[in-house]
Amino acid sequence: MIAAEGLAKRFGTVEAVRGVSFTAPDGRVTGLLGPNGAGKTTTLRMISTLLAPSGGRVMVDGIDAAHDPLAVRAGIGALSDARGLYARLTARENIAYFGELRGMGRAAIGESIARLAAFLELGPLLDRPTDGFSQGERMKVAIARALVHDPPNVVLDEPTNGLDVMTTRSLREAVRQLRQAGKCVLFSSHVMQEVAALCDEIVIVSHGRVVAVGTPEAIRAAAGSADLEEAFVRLTGGGVEA
Amino acid sequence: MGRVLVVFLKEVRDALRDRRTALMVLVASVVTGPLTLVLVAQFVSGLEERASTLKVRLAGAQHAPALVNFLRRADVEIEEAPEDYAARVKKGDLEAVIVVPRDFHERWLDHEEARVELVFDDSRTESSPAIRQSERLLEAFNRESAYLRLMARGVSPSLNETVKVERVNAATPRQRGAVLLFLIPMFAILAPLLGGMTLAIDATAGERERGSLEPLLANPVSTAAFAFGKWLAAWASATVVAAVTLAGFVLAATLYAEKKLPALLQFGVPEYLRFVAIVVPLAAFTSAAQMLISTYGRTYREAQTYVSYLATVVSFIPLVVMFSGAREAPWQAAVPVLGQLMALQRVLRGDGLPAWDALAPAAVSAALAIAAVALVARLLRDERIVFGRS
Repeated sequence: MIAAEGLAKRFGTVEAVRGVSFTAPDGRVTGLLGPNGAGKTTTLRMISTLLAPSGGRVMVDGIDAAHDPLAVRAGIGALSDARGLYARLTARENIAYFGELRGMGRAAIGESIARLAAFLELGPLLDRPTDGFSQGERMKVAIARALVHDPPNVVLDEPTNGLDVMTTRSLREAVRQLRQAGKCVLFSSHVMQEVAALCDEIVIVSHGRVVAVGTPEAIRAAAGSADLEEAFVRLTGGGVEA
Repeated sequence: MGRVLVVFLKEVRDALRDRRTALMVLVASVVTGPLTLVLVAQFVSGLEERASTLKVRLAGAQHAPALVNFLRRADVEIEEAPEDYAARVKKGDLEAVIVVPRDFHERWLDHEEARVELVFDDSRTESSPAIRQSERLLEAFNRESAYLRLMARGVSPSLNETVKVERVNAATPRQRGAVLLFLIPMFAILAPLLGGMTLAIDATAGERERGSLEPLLANPVSTAAFAFGKWLAAWASATVVAAVTLAGFVLAATLYAEKKLPALLQFGVPEYLRFVAIVVPLAAFTSAAQMLISTYGRTYREAQTYVSYLATVVSFIPLVVMFSGAREAPWQAAVPVLGQLMALQRVLRGDGLPAWDALAPAAVSAALAIAAVALVARLLRDERIVFGRS
């Protein structure tokens, strides 16, 4: 479970995030929705402990990220905004490196890679250097790398960005399976459709603040609009892609 | 420590996968030694050959029968200089020409000041032995004529020479070799820079450029472990390249030692081991410094530019020492690169290496390396470094 409590982040004079609070429970998919520049990526970076908040705190499975960032990292698998791979290493080596960094043994890594390869349809790619991979293939390797330690919490920053329809669909399927496995899945997007299709719970952010929280139905009710798209536009002051 | 090893092994494997770069660096380091020594040996043996056969070029020999007579007695080969000697000296075809004017013999007989011209171009170092030889022969002729004249007047020649200078060259043949083998220390210092560069840049600026730094740092591993593991890999690479480069010198020296320049190329296994012992701590420092500098680079190329400044500074140090004629002083041992340079030169000269001169440079390098690695670890926690991509 991931909880953000009054998170704030200031870069110089710019307040990127100003008091974001929400809870992403286990076994649910929570979507962080907002236009570009709303503070989604900054929020997720604070959750994965790479950015220190200027205010508020992050709790992951009851651990305060400010007190024990390494323990929080251990409990999270994060697909960050930057998802570069090592081009000279094979997909398998890329994934295994992160497994080793997480202290997994050789056998556990092998099993995990086999499981993820089936889950993400990576099989034929595994032993090729990642140099010539397509964007979708890279994305799959990056996700496998983030999930190699079978984390209870999964954070995905705009996972479908730049992916074609087929890859997007298989990614959605993967997210559903993670939910079924009882994981806490938190992902960000600026695409309404995607959030509507996947999320149990939606957190809408705009200009660094949470403007609405709830199930898709609750959001519709709060915005006083029967149409979800219309509700997004109203709540965020426009800027969300339909 | 386990995580440090994981990082180290990954960086080494990644670097070795870049076959072309790895191979190029390795070939370059293998070839450096033999190539340098062949060139140096040829240069030196050329100098010795030129200096050992006494030969003088004269323009207008017919105007100076006394000088010609003196030179013949001294067993000097005399060659008539061609008409265009001045141009040829300038071009470097001729090294030194003694020009005798028409009235030389008459003036000389009349005990007037008789002049000769020595034409040379001292911007060419390779002609300096020939120039010096001509000068000495002219001095000797001058001295002999003066002696004879003084004796003819009943004056002791020693009146004319209150101080008699006798040349005693204090340099043992081996030391003379070390002067020329200023080059081996130079390569010993530059090799770790070349060897650590690729890895140091790829492990820092490379991670930033690829966008792999952020996911890497999301792992539950301290930045100190990342910095340490990456540095160990860069250091290892620098050490291997330096060791291979120096081994090339040993190989070339042993191949050459028998034939041409036994005194010059005293660079055997004992010297090699001492060199490696001095260079390994230096490599620790240079690769840490390269990593620190590269961490500021957003791209590989940017970092490469910064790192090349470091190489420039480092390669200037031996040159400054050579041209400033700085004398050895204890404080120099504490200056990185300079301390190593001094120690390497002592080893080559066959002088003893006092503990201070051996340990001080190593200790300073180690301390600076650790400080640089600690700084890298800190930079890896800096938001501007982690997220500041081009």
